[in-house]
Amino acid sequence: MIELTGVRWTYQGGDVAVLDGLDLRVERGETVVLCGPSGSGKSSALRLMNGLIPLFHEGKLEGEVRVDGAPITDLALVGQVTGTVLQHPRRQFFTDAIDTELAFALENFGAPSERIRRRVAEVTAEFGLDELTGRLRELSGGQQQRVACAAAITHGPPILLFDEPTSNLSARAVDDFTRVLSHLRDLGMTLVIAEHRLHYLRDLADRIVILHGGRVTRQWTRPEIAKLTDETMRAEGLRGLRAPVRAAVATAAARGPSIETADAGPTDAVAGADSGVALRGVQCGFRGRRVLDIEEAHLPAGRITAVTGPNGAGKSTLARVLAGLQRHRGNVLLDGRARSRAQRQRETAIVMQDVQRQLFTDSVDAELRLGMTPEQADHAARVLADLDLDHCGDRHPLSLSGGQQQRLVVATARLSGRRVVIFDEPSSGVDRRHLRSMTRTMRDVATGGAVVVLISHDADLLDLAADQELRLRPLS
Amino acid sequence: MTVARSHTERAVPHHVGLPAAAGTPGRWTMDPRTAVALLLAASITIMAPGGLWFVPAALVVGVLLAVTERAWRRAVVIPVAALAAAAANYLLPLAAPWPVLGIVAITAGFVLRLIAIGGIAAHLARTVSPTRLTAALRAARVPSAFTVSGAVLLRFMPTIIAETAAVWDAMRLRGLGGVGGMLRHPLLAIEYFTVPLMASSLRSAEDLSASALLRGLGARKRPTAMHPPRFGRADLAVVAVVAVLIATTVVWRGAL
Repeated sequence: MIELTGVRWTYQGGDVAVLDGLDLRVERGETVVLCGPSGSGKSSALRLMNGLIPLFHEGKLEGEVRVDGAPITDLALVGQVTGTVLQHPRRQFFTDAIDTELAFALENFGAPSERIRRRVAEVTAEFGLDELTGRLRELSGGQQQRVACAAAITHGPPILLFDEPTSNLSARAVDDFTRVLSHLRDLGMTLVIAEHRLHYLRDLADRIVILHGGRVTRQWTRPEIAKLTDETMRAEGLRGLRAPVRAAVATAAARGPSIETADAGPTDAVAGADSGVALRGVQCGFRGRRVLDIEEAHLPAGRITAVTGPNGAGKSTLARVLAGLQRHRGNVLLDGRARSRAQRQRETAIVMQDVQRQLFTDSVDAELRLGMTPEQADHAARVLADLDLDHCGDRHPLSLSGGQQQRLVVATARLSGRRVVIFDEPSSGVDRRHLRSMTRTMRDVATGGAVVVLISHDADLLDLAADQELRLRPLS
Repeated sequence: MTVARSHTERAVPHHVGLPAAAGTPGRWTMDPRTAVALLLAASITIMAPGGLWFVPAALVVGVLLAVTERAWRRAVVIPVAALAAAAANYLLPLAAPWPVLGIVAITAGFVLRLIAIGGIAAHLARTVSPTRLTAALRAARVPSAFTVSGAVLLRFMPTIIAETAAVWDAMRLRGLGGVGGMLRHPLLAIEYFTVPLMASSLRSAEDLSASALLRGLGARKRPTAMHPPRFGRADLAVVAVVAVLIATTVVWRGAL
């Protein structure tokens, strides 16, 4: 179904070949998982299969690529035999409603109107999309991913390609997504999935292919996958094949309508919080709709507080309130004293999900010096080495890989010496080794006396990093 | 190569019906081509010399359209704002012969014209999704160079707005934002703002365009539509109402 033979690929302007001697054959109806450390060429291999390399991304390609028996000559043609689902479904939606999104490919490929309507209705029923209401952008991450899968198969391609499809999904949404994959597999579709999180693919994968330095270094077949141990996975730098079992984490002292009370701990600890951040009567709303309502909460200094909860529970709003970016009612106290929004902006650092928004200068060194005192900058070399960036000082931040950019922003947050440091989903697209270095960095920041807030769905990361959990719930 | 009919198509039971969260229009929705034609005609007529005569007719159309989509606030705001602008336009010069009042009155005259056109534009923006607009433009045989780039532009606007807000937040947290910082180092502030804005927008644009091209946007085949735009009762009603209003305006103008 897919044949890659002796492929070597270098992105335009790149010094190193991202794919170097890649040989891979995927059979019809097979489910193949591509894994390997960040930068090993997983995403590039997928781009070869859907023709984005070399028809969309520019660079130098050698070797042979055949999909469905033919070489790739036109994006729209290969688009008819492949469906692609990216990491951020919201970014790939072209319309604002479910039915128009499903119809998009068929309309562009010139299918008759009657057939489009019938097919959209079929896929809607097949994926249980009838129960979803509202605009696409208002759906939860898991629901959006379900729509993205449905939109990728509506025009009936026999091959589906997924690029880290669960990196922004909660544990429950990953379960839903696993059922969707299982259904597609039962229909006989050929699935190729590039992923770091592997536990949900254990029973689905026919083959796990490990890439290192742009070539296949190892493959495991289904009987071999069943026998894999965590030691083997660790030796390969891969995340575990078993769903992480979250150890019991202390519940943050908090109460209010937005706080999930099912497993709430003692709330009298909220009072007398003279170190760290305390919230008193914090309420927030958008267009007359209440999105966050916390009567009291305490986030202690020196500890990592994980803020969890389903999409729409107000996690990002809480982060914006803490950072002084969001208007709200009530008070936010730091070390026992109420702080204005402007004061909190000066006391807070955030590592955003899309870190490109936070890279302002023309070199890694300049980025670290921006807004730092000389004393803070003295620690720069150590922090860079710790985050595997010590050889990048002169490079332009935008020339770094996604993972490196994220680690650079983490480095600036760590050096900033701010009292409150917020990490917003820092582990999307992060392999096992960098998951640990990310955790070490958060721990260092906390040990330095800061209030560390971690917003994440990633059970692996929460398991490693969280000292206590503040679980939010959506206000109906 | 034709659009493949895969196993997934055969495997599911036949089921016909419209899904929830649909972006499909109702029976009494005006065809986007009518809405665009109406907006263009109103803009040209009202902005032309002597266009003020047609302002009442356009206001009536704007209010009626607001009522049909149950936008009650707009149905009230349009006539009230228009009355205020008309009062400023006609009554201020009578109050005192001051040049300042004259300038305010002339500005109010332009505002009055904009309100009249804005009522119709607001209806178009609220009721016609980019998808329907694109389908309508395709049906009107507008070249794909315009429909594709127009669709991408409409799709990308909200992304740019969201990215701008996020970059501004990031600047404030690094101590680079704020009016003080901008006044002290205006060029640096512009650089700090535009570099991340372009980087993050380009990244979003790359995902979007890759996904759209793979799903056939701009493909050589002539695109179709799930619900081909059709002129219906709503369009007939609009044409009738507009004809009556134009006739009334012409008669009224002749009578004065």
